[in-house]
Amino acid sequence: MRTFGELWRSTILTKWVMAITGVLIVLFLLGHLSGNLLVFVGEEAMNEYGVWLRSLGHGTLLWVVRLGLVAIFVLHIVSAIRLSAKNRAARPVSYARTESRKSTVASRTMLLSGLLILAYGVYHLAHFTWGLTNPDFYNQTDALGRHDVYHMVIASFREPLIVVTYLLAMVLTGLHLNHAISSAMQTLGVSHPKYVTIIRRLGVGLSIAIAVGFSSVPLGVVAGIVK
Amino acid sequence: MRLRLHIWRQAGPDAQGMLKTYDLDNVSEHMSFLEMLDVLNEQLMEKGEEPVAFDHDCREGICGTCGMVINGRPHGPLARTTACQLHMRTFKDGDEIYIEPWRATAFPVVRDLVVDRSSFDRIIQKGGFISVNTGNAQDGNAIPISKTDADRAMDAAACIGCGACVAACPNASAMLFTAAKIGHLASLPQGQAERFSRATNMVLQMDAEGFGSCTNHYECEAACPKGISAEWIAAMNRDFAKAAITSRD
Ligand code: SF4
Ligand code: FES
Repeated sequence: MRTFGELWRSTILTKWVMAITGVLIVLFLLGHLSGNLLVFVGEEAMNEYGVWLRSLGHGTLLWVVRLGLVAIFVLHIVSAIRLSAKNRAARPVSYARTESRKSTVASRTMLLSGLLILAYGVYHLAHFTWGLTNPDFYNQTDALGRHDVYHMVIASFREPLIVVTYLLAMVLTGLHLNHAISSAMQTLGVSHPKYVTIIRRLGVGLSIAIAVGFSSVPLGVVAGIVK
Repeated sequence: MRLRLHIWRQAGPDAQGMLKTYDLDNVSEHMSFLEMLDVLNEQLMEKGEEPVAFDHDCREGICGTCGMVINGRPHGPLARTTACQLHMRTFKDGDEIYIEPWRATAFPVVRDLVVDRSSFDRIIQKGGFISVNTGNAQDGNAIPISKTDADRAMDAAACIGCGACVAACPNASAMLFTAAKIGHLASLPQGQAERFSRATNMVLQMDAEGFGSCTNHYECEAACPKGISAEWIAAMNRDFAKAAITSRD
């Protein structure tokens, strides 16, 4: 009998780790996005949501989720790097000419888009979670003494450079997910002639919805819909 | 027609290779691609040069021996066509054609366009068979198999082991080949006894040979001369994971 330790190193189980963590990240993004969209409801909803998040399970649940997310991202990234290293080693001499038939820009740039999103993610945390890059925007309280998330977002997205960086990151996220979602399903063995086309289309649709959804916040601020 | 060929020349496994350019005249559109190379080789030999080494056997698209990357595509531009079944009418006068060997760590170049594909044989040796005791042959109809299953098994069994999937894959992954072999036997009742140990052992051997991993580009199924579908890869992913979690073999 083979031990799990032996099989764990196989490319297929490593891909399963990538796919499962990837699916969890998409679920996290959807949750994150639904919170962000509260900005269109107004200051009260947004700031109250912030207080609610921090109060979950007497403040412990947020930390459980945060630690879980760190673990998920670490597993996703470590697996990606391990697989990419193996893939590069598998073709030491490249072709003088290549013509791709089915691969896409998204599928060929997964590592690059992933690493750029990672870099942006760290900056994003420093900006909105740790309050390091723009402490003036971060250290605001509303009339009720709550952390003023609403005005932090608006003040941030009045800075053109922050808006442009954010939109670029969303284009990259959309590109990454464009390949990622249906790819994860294939890796998890979810493929059948009856629904393979539907899954691929849903994957593309969802990737666009997520990218557009997140982008709507800075665009709303720029357009003056949110003020 | 007149062609300009850029062909990978490499004297041996450890020799430094490079693309060399040859001009070939009077190529008939009725020639197969390999016959065109035969003509080139005759001319090279007349000039006292080494002919271009390339693999071939049946020349009718069934053995999987031939294979070269033609203008960036394994087996050339036509879908579901091996290099030996490709004809020069696909090209036109004045064309430049790049001809390179399969590129993969697990397929080392032996000479020119010939690569060593014994890594595929070692994957098969790990389970691409059904173990039966010899004795009297069983009645052919004793095991009922649905037409759907028989057709599916046949679809996977169509793989001729040419390696174009590896050559086409940006990661030089052998997932399509391995999945076709595992899927062929997993589709049949006779294949069930060893189904999960087969999936495990063949995949681990595939990894050990130094093939890359699949990132779902689907270049393999586009290049496959036998139209093997990447759906088999999903089926292999299922069987491997199921074996990892439940198998006692
Ligand atoms: S799957 Fe297709 S391309 Fe790969 S070895 Fe088999 S016949 Fe050749
Ligand atoms: S020589 Fe047999 S398939 Fe081409």
